[in-house]
Amino acid sequence: MSNSFIGRNPSILWFLLALSVFTIGVTLLSEATGTGLISTSFLKTLGKTLCLCLVAIAMDVVWGYCGILSLGHFAFFGIGGYAIGMWLMYARTEGIVTGSLSGSALPPTPQEVTDAIGTQIFGVVGSSEFPALWAFSHSLPLQLLAVVAVPGLLALVFGWLAFRSRVTGVYLSILTQAMTLALSLYFFQNDTGLRGNNGLSGLQNIPGLEAVPQATISLWFFWASAVALALGYILFAWVVSGKLGSVIRAIRDNEARVRFLGYHVESYKLFVFTLTAMVAGIAGALYYPQAGIINPAEIAPIASIYLAVWVAIGGRGRLYGAVIGAALVSLLSSWFTGGSAPPINLGFYVVKWTEWWLVLLGLSFVAVTLFFPKGIGGIFDYFERKRLPDRQGDYGPDKGALRQQEGVE
Amino acid sequence: MSTLLEVSGVSVTFDGFRAINNLSIQIAEPELRAVIGPNGAGKTTFMDIITGKTKPDEGRVIFGEKSVNLLGMSESQIAQAGIGRKFQKPTVFEAQTVRENIVMALKNPRGPFDVLFKRRADAREERVREISDEIGLTEALDQTSGALSHGQKQWLEIGMLLAQDPRLLLVDEPAAGMTPQEREHTTDLLVRAARTRAVVVVEHDMEFVRRLNCKVTVLHEGSVLAEGSLDHVTKNKDVVDVYLGR
Repeated sequence: MSNSFIGRNPSILWFLLALSVFTIGVTLLSEATGTGLISTSFLKTLGKTLCLCLVAIAMDVVWGYCGILSLGHFAFFGIGGYAIGMWLMYARTEGIVTGSLSGSALPPTPQEVTDAIGTQIFGVVGSSEFPALWAFSHSLPLQLLAVVAVPGLLALVFGWLAFRSRVTGVYLSILTQAMTLALSLYFFQNDTGLRGNNGLSGLQNIPGLEAVPQATISLWFFWASAVALALGYILFAWVVSGKLGSVIRAIRDNEARVRFLGYHVESYKLFVFTLTAMVAGIAGALYYPQAGIINPAEIAPIASIYLAVWVAIGGRGRLYGAVIGAALVSLLSSWFTGGSAPPINLGFYVVKWTEWWLVLLGLSFVAVTLFFPKGIGGIFDYFERKRLPDRQGDYGPDKGALRQQEGVE
Repeated sequence: MSTLLEVSGVSVTFDGFRAINNLSIQIAEPELRAVIGPNGAGKTTFMDIITGKTKPDEGRVIFGEKSVNLLGMSESQIAQAGIGRKFQKPTVFEAQTVRENIVMALKNPRGPFDVLFKRRADAREERVREISDEIGLTEALDQTSGALSHGQKQWLEIGMLLAQDPRLLLVDEPAAGMTPQEREHTTDLLVRAARTRAVVVVEHDMEFVRRLNCKVTVLHEGSVLAEGSLDHVTKNKDVVDVYLGR
């Protein structure tokens, strides 16, 4: 079966090949193993980019394949980051606190240790109590579970409520955006117990690995991100191939018709929405230790809109399109906003890319939607000469509709 | 012949307009039934009610020997219970191949996990062949269905209905946009399908109805005006007035 699965989806092999070549190349050039042509900070950028590619694939499945324009998947990504960040902060602070308390004459009681950790973590928001949300933060397995379980449950409940009342199209997008906004506002509050707008920081320091240099840790995370992206790609390629893919694309194209075929459309949407949310959570959990910091601004609706822009530019409805879009746009974005792009002097005005990048991105988004609705991925169709006849709606019982003799090419 | 579908005393109002007015119809199994009537007689609304798209204000719709009430069920449950529908405008999934369209319609478990994990392709391939032979699209199995002609799309949709293997088949204007030969083929197909199941055909074209050679129900202003053979109803004075005498 796996032979025919790969055989029917040759793009998987090409993708895995490209990803392995890239990973090996970067590894050889990195500071930890090689010449150091790639600095550790750029290595982190590349690793983060792979995580963004993973969440972009998830977005492509939910939007490009199933037709749900979710403006909330970056929130699931952020929740995954928070879930792992809580353990990272707790465990690291615990190490520091026990270290400093061990010098005192009397051994510290467990209560003293907990209080000290609480003061360290929540001092910035004027508190030292552990909020209920942090109940499992001492346990890595439980927080890892939370990385998939919390986004999954949230998507399940939200999706169930939204889909069963048959909210579709732009109204559903607005609803997902409202959810994202509400979440980010909730995370911003100091009372929530997630350190308000300070967010969680120091996440690049992995507890127990203090002796390992950042160059090495970054490489490990880069590998982990590459593996996660490869597995995610295979998973989603499997999901969208075969009959399930057929059904979800049919839902995108004509939901009502799928119902009359006897499929419970809502369950399918819920399945896709929840699965992609869980993968988004995993991508976030790999991203934020490389970023080092997470704060509620990461969850804000604009992030999810960027996600949709990447997928649209890369090409909806094909997994590699999402990867290309996310990688290209996010790397370009860090190049332009990082100040490396040379400013253009127009004589009367100097175009500084840090300010004008968003305008450029907006214009390219408009240009892609207007002139290349298939996105960058559409170039591959051009090479394959596989032009899908675009006849949707051309035929009909109305007068003037195309007739049989005009039909088959 | 036993009664398969019983519609009794059904009324629907859209913004004050009575689309269906105290409509009662019984369909047996197997049976071929043609439903005719002028525009706005409520033919399509009648199908909408049976398939769960429209909920009536009053009345009962009972299906099968267990007498299930269709009004409490969702569209997908009704379809799974064994009612298939073909729309006026052919609605196939144009971005997908003919094979994918048929496979999607095949009678199989419909849950997401059933669909994801049960991928036994060999058993269904045979069934796909049978159906594509029946509708004359075997050659086109791997073609995108958007590239089919209008008549072929109509057949593909009929083929998808056959794949669903429903007990009751509702067909809305199957002959629209077809050439004379295609019409003939379609009539054959429907007559053959009606040997083992109930088939209800809504049609405007009298010639087509005549060729079906079956019991005819005339709808007018949302209720049944006359019922019987085509010759019988065309002699009915009311029918002549509202429909044929225009």
